[in-house]
Amino acid sequence: MTIQIHHYLILSALLFSIGAAGFLVRRNSLVALMCIELMLNAVNLTLIAFNRWMPANAGGAVPHQGQVFAFFVIAVAAAEAALGLAIVLSLYRVRKVVRTDDANLMKE
Amino acid sequence: MKDLLLYLLPIVILTVGGFTMMLVDAFQKEEGGLSVPTAMLHFAAAAAALALWSRGGSADDLARAQIAFNGWLAFDRTTLFLDFVIALGGGLASLLAGSYLEEHRLERGEFYTLLTFASTGCMMLAGATDLIMVFIGLETLSLGVYALTGFRRTSARSQEGALKYFLLGSFAAALLLYGSALLYGMTGHTDLAGIREALSRPVDGAAIAGQEGAQQFVAIQQTVRDRVSILAMVMIVAGLAFKVGSVPFHMWVPDAYEGAPTPATAYMAVVVKAAAFGAMLRVLVGVFGDPSGSASLAGGWPGLLAWLAVLSMLVGNLIALAQSSVKRMLAYSSISHGGYILAAFVVTPRAEEMAGGGSIGQGAAAAVLFYLLAYTVSNIGAFGALIAAGRRGKEAVSYEDLAGLGKRHPAAALALSFFVLSLAGMPPTVGFFAKYNVIRSAVEAGYSWLALAVVINSAIGLYYYLRVMVKMYMTDPAPGAVRAEPMDSPGLTLTLIASAAMVLALGLMPQRFYDYALEAVKLSVAPVAAAPAAADAPAAAPSAPSAR
Repeated sequence: MTIQIHHYLILSALLFSIGAAGFLVRRNSLVALMCIELMLNAVNLTLIAFNRWMPANAGGAVPHQGQVFAFFVIAVAAAEAALGLAIVLSLYRVRKVVRTDDANLMKE
Repeated sequence: MKDLLLYLLPIVILTVGGFTMMLVDAFQKEEGGLSVPTAMLHFAAAAAALALWSRGGSADDLARAQIAFNGWLAFDRTTLFLDFVIALGGGLASLLAGSYLEEHRLERGEFYTLLTFASTGCMMLAGATDLIMVFIGLETLSLGVYALTGFRRTSARSQEGALKYFLLGSFAAALLLYGSALLYGMTGHTDLAGIREALSRPVDGAAIAGQEGAQQFVAIQQTVRDRVSILAMVMIVAGLAFKVGSVPFHMWVPDAYEGAPTPATAYMAVVVKAAAFGAMLRVLVGVFGDPSGSASLAGGWPGLLAWLAVLSMLVGNLIALAQSSVKRMLAYSSISHGGYILAAFVVTPRAEEMAGGGSIGQGAAAAVLFYLLAYTVSNIGAFGALIAAGRRGKEAVSYEDLAGLGKRHPAAALALSFFVLSLAGMPPTVGFFAKYNVIRSAVEAGYSWLALAVVINSAIGLYYYLRVMVKMYMTDPAPGAVRAEPMDSPGLTLTLIASAAMVLALGLMPQRFYDYALEAVKLSVAPVAAAPAAADAPAAAPSAPSAR
């Protein structure tokens, strides 16, 4: 058996689903952050797998566009994680909670 | 090339200005004083957008400029129009911030830098014609706005709002990205024009023609591509709907709006929305719009958006009725305003000619742009008036705080009533004409039920908007209750007067500004609305050049 494009795609779809499900189910904001990272990395895997699979210049496409996209995703994900952790930390300082259930001051 | 760089001027002004302010803030001795420079930067960017607009430039020039930037950004009039709205909203919001932050002892320079960079992101998003650019613009603005939401560091509400906004916003961005990745895989392109073209062609089987089973293989590939592009469309719509806060992706809106410092709320409500709706115009119509009615199955998005529109209007309005906090009421009302704008989106892919020139689709896209401009000035005014109605420790947040304000402080009450009436859509304010355009384009395209939904919801909305005025003018505060006392600050007064002037000017000359919006739609390099099939004038929305 050779590893083909669809193996990568199924893996990344699984990773994305696990991330999305985890985000929706788990109530710890740090775990939610990790789930978002998982989803973003699933996207990266998809992009890179597609890029490798695609014949160069197919249909006038720019070569390596997918890999360039993945680089941008990686860079932005890092910035996002930094900001997310800062917000979690800042909430913890004020309320001493990290669970999203406990962030409930504004329920109406 | 120098000529082409000129098109970047609004973005360059804000970027350079933002970095300069970071340095100034780091080296100056005392905090504060950055509000006016920030506003000036934004107004300079708005002026640059206006100058570029009046400078003109043929569709060819614009196309050339787009190619020079690898097809990542369009510099057409749609972009300029949105840039103007963004810069105007950002400038007014930073003037509001100057008064608010000082009054509430929150004055720190980061606020203005974050706001400026967020505006940069908004402009990138509004002009983006490539999925990578859409993502970068979206994240640049989002990261800035998340931080602005959590700006009141000692307030638990502010931090909670920021956390919810951040988590849901990042989730939405991940959805949007996965949709983009799938589209890339199906077409080999990330630029919108390339994706559109690739999706409109049947799957190419030339490479394997003649081999055994080639026909079945191509048929399977075609099915896969159609299905996956529908999935990608749904994910992209969901991701963008999160950003504009439309039902059912609205959960973060009230909390983030309530928790954020009020100027940041105003900024989120107008500027971020303008950029996100701009991106929606380009991505949905530009990629899946398919006015020619050919191949792409993902052209089914108008039906999806119609549902989102009706739900947003209804849910936003009904929950707004039940609010006791005015700030939260404005948050829910902004959800329903998003619904009205989405109602115009439903019509954008219609290509039939309309009476006044252009097509129904273009009329609808112009209605979207006009609504964004109208909504910007009205909402900045409403939040500004809410800021003006309260001072530190005696803020105006709930309806009860406003009781009797009309007798005690007529000026603040008058300002709030005026902008609330514009939001409610009363003539002669601009809110009326914004809704009128939406309703008209829905009726023209034969979506009478959608127009009816807009009308009914405007009527529901009237109740809670008028309740603000009833509280202010017809009730007395409960004995012993904390009374809101208005603050006075020249910057705030100036902002309110400027917004009021624009609300009236737009309301008295709606046709003129609508014509600008229509021109913006027609002279767009990347399609933002369906053009009539027989476009004889070369200027009428030429098909976008791809980046090859």
